[in-house]
Amino acid sequence: MAAAGAEERQVLAQRLKAAVHYTVGCLCQEVEEDKDVQFSKQTIAAISEITFRQCEIFAKDLEMFARHAKRTTVTTEDVKLLARRSNSLLKYITQKSEELASSNMEQKEKKRKKSSAAKGERTPGEQEAAVTENEDSNMA
Amino acid sequence: SEKKPREPQIPRSLIKEIFRHFAKMPVTRDAFQIVEKCSERYFKQLSNDLEAYTHHAGRKTVEAADLEVLMRRQGLVTDKMPMNVLIERFLPLEYRMLLIPVAVGGNKVIPCK
Repeated sequence: MAAAGAEERQVLAQRLKAAVHYTVGCLCQEVEEDKDVQFSKQTIAAISEITFRQCEIFAKDLEMFARHAKRTTVTTEDVKLLARRSNSLLKYITQKSEELASSNMEQKEKKRKKSSAAKGERTPGEQEAAVTENEDSNMA
Repeated sequence: SEKKPREPQIPRSLIKEIFRHFAKMPVTRDAFQIVEKCSERYFKQLSNDLEAYTHHAGRKTVEAADLEVLMRRQGLVTDKMPMNVLIERFLPLEYRMLLIPVAVGGNKVIPCK
């Protein structure tokens, strides 16, 4: 029973890693076009591994911050607190969260119109957050 | 000669003593000055962080929980290294008595929480 659960978890972790790896590959391609450099396959793999492990740290910290505020749900406030240490990052995240909030308001006004356009334009930060949330729900 | 009011700070001798204890090797005078500056910086950063964490929990008073969150973030407190172990290891007895609940005779727990 426990072994089956462990195996399932491993499969899930592999899947998540593959998803992260794919996204990192896409992002690296963008940078390649932008900066006119080449990424070796090993580099991309290393970046995706780093990202995956960083997500574990993020998940633990976010969980801790939410619990500190006596909540069980991770909110944007927790994410801002996570990015507090670096000023530029904090600015960026705050701006993004404001954009998200305003777009959410618009969506609510539009009574849930199909938001395929918004989903297509996901920033790397959001994607990471999404992965982190995913992990978070797994860890809970 | 009038003294200009200085910022409150940890006494130099204490910083020296602690740093010497952990360094276990000779340290030059300039190095100690840098360590002092670093301590000052550290306290500034500490107060900012504690303010943020306290505010995050919707309080205006810094509590032990805020400090624990901070130390977790600093990587000092982990799942394998709980706060109480650090207190046991680094603080003198009288402070340990204040921080870690101890059951004494007469069915009392100190500190009473």
